[in-house]
Amino acid sequence: MRRIGIIPSGLLYRMMTSPVVLEARGLRKEFGALRAVNDVTLEIRAQTFHSIIGPNGAGKTTLFNLLSGTLEPTSGQVLFNGQDITHAPVHRRAHLGLGRSYQITNIFPNLTVLENVRLAVQALGSDNFKFWSANAKFARYTERARQVLEQVGLSDRSLRLARTLPQGDQRKMELGMILAPAPEILLLDEPTSGMATEQIPELIGLIQTIQRESRKTVVLVEHNMDVVMSVSDTITVMHQGSVLAEGAPAAIAANVQVQDAYLGHSLWHDALQQAQHEQSARGS
Amino acid sequence: MPRANRSAGILRRHGGALGLMIVLALLPFLFGLLEGASPLAVWNNQAGASKFYEGLLIEVFILAVYAISYDLVLGITGLLSFGHAMFFALGAYLTGILLKSFGLPLWATLLAVVGAGVLNALLFSVVLPRVKGITFALVTLGFAAVFNIVIQSHELSDWAGGDVGLQNVPIPTWLSPSDERLRFYFIALVFLFAVYWFYQRFVDSPTGRVCVAIRENEERARVLGYPTFYFKIVALTVASVTAGLAGALHTLYQPIVSPTIAGLGFTVAALLMILIGGIGTLTGALLGAAVYRLVDFFLLRFTGSSSSFLIGLIYIAIVLFVPYGIVGTWRLRNVEWRTVWQERLAQWFGIKESPQDLAPPTTEQPPD
Ligand SMILES: Nc1ncnc2c1ncn2[C@@H]1O[C@H](COP(=O)(O)OP(=O)(O)O)[C@@H](O)[C@H]1O
Ligand SMILES: [Mg+2]
Repeated sequence: MRRIGIIPSGLLYRMMTSPVVLEARGLRKEFGALRAVNDVTLEIRAQTFHSIIGPNGAGKTTLFNLLSGTLEPTSGQVLFNGQDITHAPVHRRAHLGLGRSYQITNIFPNLTVLENVRLAVQALGSDNFKFWSANAKFARYTERARQVLEQVGLSDRSLRLARTLPQGDQRKMELGMILAPAPEILLLDEPTSGMATEQIPELIGLIQTIQRESRKTVVLVEHNMDVVMSVSDTITVMHQGSVLAEGAPAAIAANVQVQDAYLGHSLWHDALQQAQHEQSARGS
Repeated sequence: MPRANRSAGILRRHGGALGLMIVLALLPFLFGLLEGASPLAVWNNQAGASKFYEGLLIEVFILAVYAISYDLVLGITGLLSFGHAMFFALGAYLTGILLKSFGLPLWATLLAVVGAGVLNALLFSVVLPRVKGITFALVTLGFAAVFNIVIQSHELSDWAGGDVGLQNVPIPTWLSPSDERLRFYFIALVFLFAVYWFYQRFVDSPTGRVCVAIRENEERARVLGYPTFYFKIVALTVASVTAGLAGALHTLYQPIVSPTIAGLGFTVAALLMILIGGIGTLTGALLGAAVYRLVDFFLLRFTGSSSSFLIGLIYIAIVLFVPYGIVGTWRLRNVEWRTVWQERLAQWFGIKESPQDLAPPTTEQPPD
């Protein structure tokens, strides 16, 4: 364990001893001849901030789809707190405590911002089939939704239709939708894509604060390397469907330097370039 | 919210409906006065013109219940069903057959209609996990087409009357649509507003909110933790039972059952009614049914047999100039609504739009 010297001891403790919340075992997904996810084995430990990086097409989103249940794996297993959920339906996973957000805006476009978040809270309550009670009776859902909107800074826009929000605000709202039911683990697929660059650190900072204060487990896909390096406990690098490297940020940075040294370029820089390219494309 | 405020809110919400119900309850007497008949004559079903308009309005009420049930399926839950006429026709035929061929009492007949409505909804639900959008429309169209053929078949003609339909259904005298029309009118009126009230409550309940979420984005709803399949079953069941009861009332009023109510044309009628009134608004379904029936009636009266051409023109005009229906256009007068519609149609017909088309990527700063 040569890494010990550069890892804060509290964090080391968490990384080594905290239980595995979410686990992928030999997870594979094939689209025809393409192996989008190729025998990925991954352990996400409780209360850690775990980032997944890799160039576009590496299979990060597909991996998320397998973990959250929107896709069935070709082979392999998904375990949540030791329980095999490989074939559990999507909605069951939400009830187990798995929250998920999307790279591409995925909301209820013609409902208000408040209703979008409120629906996220209501989903995990036990009142969904009370068809004879006015919705207003369940004030706790609305209160929780308002509280979360306050957190993500959308209080003043809570009654606007979600579709009319600028994209940056839609991303904040989506973060609200995943935070609101307080899941045990949050799978965040590029939550900042489509946001103005200067808004990104703020949003990521918010995620980090919540992760620390409410002791959540966060799995983040993100292209902004400065952000990833500063907030992550563990980083997994994916490339062409496979896990290329995994470790603490410093170790990954070292790995990148090794790649740089041998290959003249690194996946990190590839990804970084791609991210910058995307951002400038968006800006134009 | 303080209690006083809340009851004021309830009055604001339901005041309009309550007022309308009172007006409709008094309307037969108004018609009576217009033809010079005393309220007592109207009360005793002795005023001819009043009785006639009562009959017309009974038809409107029945159609309105039918339309609102389709609005729950299509407008609220976003399920494009082309088999909705089957819900209505099953109730209508079952009522006729049980009263006529089996001599069942009315209460037992209505109970059977409710039961059959539940089963019918379950039949439609069987395919829900597998098919979406236009495929669901085609499958439901298939169910209804089979029903339409079976009900007119030779084998069932002793009961269902073949392609002529069911004639001379015996109606209990206390409910006779000819002798006790005013009573029938009040029953139909109360039934309509009971259904309307129930639907308003349903849509405003946690369950109804989930149905709306399913219409908006089913995939997202599932990931949030909603087993959307069951909510769709609930919506279909509620709609099927209501439409079946509307069908029962139809049989009681007519009292014949014509096979036209089992055809695709009758589903299209439901679609037209909610398009006219405003899809997904509930209130619009009531308004749409009234417009649909009354336009048909007055055109037929004043232009004779060439009316269907004019009716077609009127509907085209409505779709062009009031594209979101009467209530829909009114409610959304401030919203850019065209895109909303395009999206919904795309969703129902399974056309995938690229996210860029849906929401132009902007990185506006919030106004500080
Ligand atoms: N539904 C799908 N059908 C076919 N190919 C897909 C599908 N989803 C993703 N892919 C392919 O799988 C690969 C991995 O994609 P993705 O998981 O989106 O990568 P990332 O999120 O890392 O950018 C890509 O080559 C992509 O084209
Ligand atoms: Mg991706």
